[in-house]
Amino acid sequence: MKTIDPAALEGIRGLVRCEEFDREALGERVTEMTHAVYPHDQVYGQYCTIHAHIDCPPDAVFAYMANPLSLMEWTYSVRDLRPTGKRDLLVGVDAADTPIYCRTVSNEGARTVDYHCAWDQGDDLWMIYLNRVVPAEQVLRRSGSVVIWTNCRHPYYDKNPFPALSPKPDRAWVGDWWPLFYAGHTIELENLKLILEYRHRRGLPLGPQLREA
Amino acid sequence: MKPISLLGVASYLPPTIVSNDFFAPGAGSRRGMFTAPTTRRHVQRDETAAAMIERAAQRLVAKLSLDAARDIDILFTNVALPDQAFTGCGAEVAHRLGCQPRWIVDLHNTGCVSFIYMMELARTIMDGSDARGALLCNVQNAAGRVFSHPEVKKTTQAPVPGDGCGVGYVAAGASSPVLSVVHRCQPEFAADMRAHAADGRQYWEPGLSPITLGFTDERVAAIINRGNRIVPEVVRAACDAAGVNLSDVKLLVTNQPNPIFLRNWREALGFSREAHHDTFDVYGNLFGAAIPINLEDALEHGKLGRGDIVALGGFSHAGDYAASAILRW
Repeated sequence: MKTIDPAALEGIRGLVRCEEFDREALGERVTEMTHAVYPHDQVYGQYCTIHAHIDCPPDAVFAYMANPLSLMEWTYSVRDLRPTGKRDLLVGVDAADTPIYCRTVSNEGARTVDYHCAWDQGDDLWMIYLNRVVPAEQVLRRSGSVVIWTNCRHPYYDKNPFPALSPKPDRAWVGDWWPLFYAGHTIELENLKLILEYRHRRGLPLGPQLREA
Repeated sequence: MKPISLLGVASYLPPTIVSNDFFAPGAGSRRGMFTAPTTRRHVQRDETAAAMIERAAQRLVAKLSLDAARDIDILFTNVALPDQAFTGCGAEVAHRLGCQPRWIVDLHNTGCVSFIYMMELARTIMDGSDARGALLCNVQNAAGRVFSHPEVKKTTQAPVPGDGCGVGYVAAGASSPVLSVVHRCQPEFAADMRAHAADGRQYWEPGLSPITLGFTDERVAAIINRGNRIVPEVVRAACDAAGVNLSDVKLLVTNQPNPIFLRNWREALGFSREAHHDTFDVYGNLFGAAIPINLEDALEHGKLGRGDIVALGGFSHAGDYAASAILRW
C-alpha cells in the first residue's frame, strides 16, 4: 500500500479534499454550484461536448467513425473527400465551396477517433473533433455505444488566421458559428445514430457505402 | 367558476429579533442550503398562533375596512406548529376577531404553499355557495418553538427558519382577480421530511431529547433537484392556465427556503433580483407565511401597481406539494 507524501500537495491552493473540507463544507459548496438552469454560453462557450447513445456495437461504431470517408454520410456538409498526397491527409469541400482538410487519428484500444481539420489549408490542422466510443453495456447497462464528442474553442475560431486563403472575401468564418455548435453537432450526431442504427438493425453492412465517382 | 380576488395581505412579525450569535459559532458564515439570514424573528413561549393571526388580521381588517362579523364567511388557518395537539386554532381566531364564519378549515398540509392552496379552496367553496369573503391565515412558529431549544439551536439548519404570520383576504368578484391557480401533489415525497428526536422517541412520547425537523442527508440532493424543477414548472403552468406570458409578470413572490432556491427559481424563470421579492435575509425561512409576508413587503416597497401581474409560487416540505397562482393586482 502506498500513501501520499505529506509534502506532495504543499503550496497548491484551492484543493477541495476531505481532510480540509468536511461533508458539511462540501455540501455548502456543491449546493451553491448547482443551479436549476445554466446559460448556454456558460455550458457551451469554451467547450462543446455532446453525447448520444447509438444502438450499434462499439467496435462497429468505432470502425465506421475511424473511416474518414464516413464523414461524407453523417456530416451535414463535408463532401468529396479525396487524398491530398500528404500522409493520411484528405481534402474535401465544406459549406459548398470551402476546402476542408482532415486527418483522422484513431486509437482502436481506446476507441477514440479524432478528426484534425482546418478550412483552406492542410498544414495547421487546428479544428479538432475529439470522439470517444464507450461500450453502453459498461456505462448504461444496455446494448450499443455511447459516443462522446468534444470540441474546444481554439483561438482561431474567433479569428481566421489565414484570411488570404479564403476562396471568397465575404465568406462567413467557421468560428462565427461557434454559438450554434451545440445544435449543429447534435444534428450531425443524430445523423450518425440514424445511419448506424438503421443499418445495424437490418443487418446491413455499416458502411460507408461508397462507389467510384 | 365565479371570479375571486385577493384584496389584500397583512403581516405580523414577533418582536423578538434573533441574530446569528444565538446559534452555533460560524452560523453567519454558512452557505448553500443552510445559509443563515442576518436576522430572524422567534416567537416566545407564550405567543400563540391564534394571537399572531389576530394581530395580522386586525391590520388587514383595518386596511380593507372590513367588518369582521359580516365579511368573513370562510376562515382558513395553516400553522407550522399548532398551539394545541388535538385541534387547530381557527375557532379561537374566529372568537378573537369576532367573526362567525360558516367554514373554518385548519389545514395541516401544503405547508409553504398553503396560502395558494387556500386561495383555491376559497374559490371552490365560493363557487358552490353564497360565501363572499375568506380570511387566509398562515403562521410559521417553528423557529421559536423548535429551533431555539438549547440543543436544537446548535444544529446546522437551526439559523434558517424564522417566525411570522401572514394573512390575506379573498373576496368574490373580479376587482383584482386570481387568474389561475395550479397545484400539484407529489405524494411519493410525503415521507421525506420528519420530526425526530435523538433518542428515537415519537414526538408524543415523553423523553428528554428535543424534537427537531429535518431531511436525511441522502435526501438533500434529491430535494434540491425537485425544488429546482417543480417550482419553475408550476409557475409556467399557472401562466399558461392564466393565458399570461411569463414576460408579462411584473413580480414573482415565492416561499423562501434558502437563497439557493431563490436564485435558482429566479434564474430558471428569467426574473431579475428586484422582480423576485424576498425577505430571507431579515426574516429567514418563513414557511407558509412567506408568500403573504413577502407580498405585503413588496407592496410596501412599491413593487406592484394596480393592474400589474404577480406570480405566486413555491413548494412545500420535501416536495410533496407545489403550487402557483397568477393574479392581476
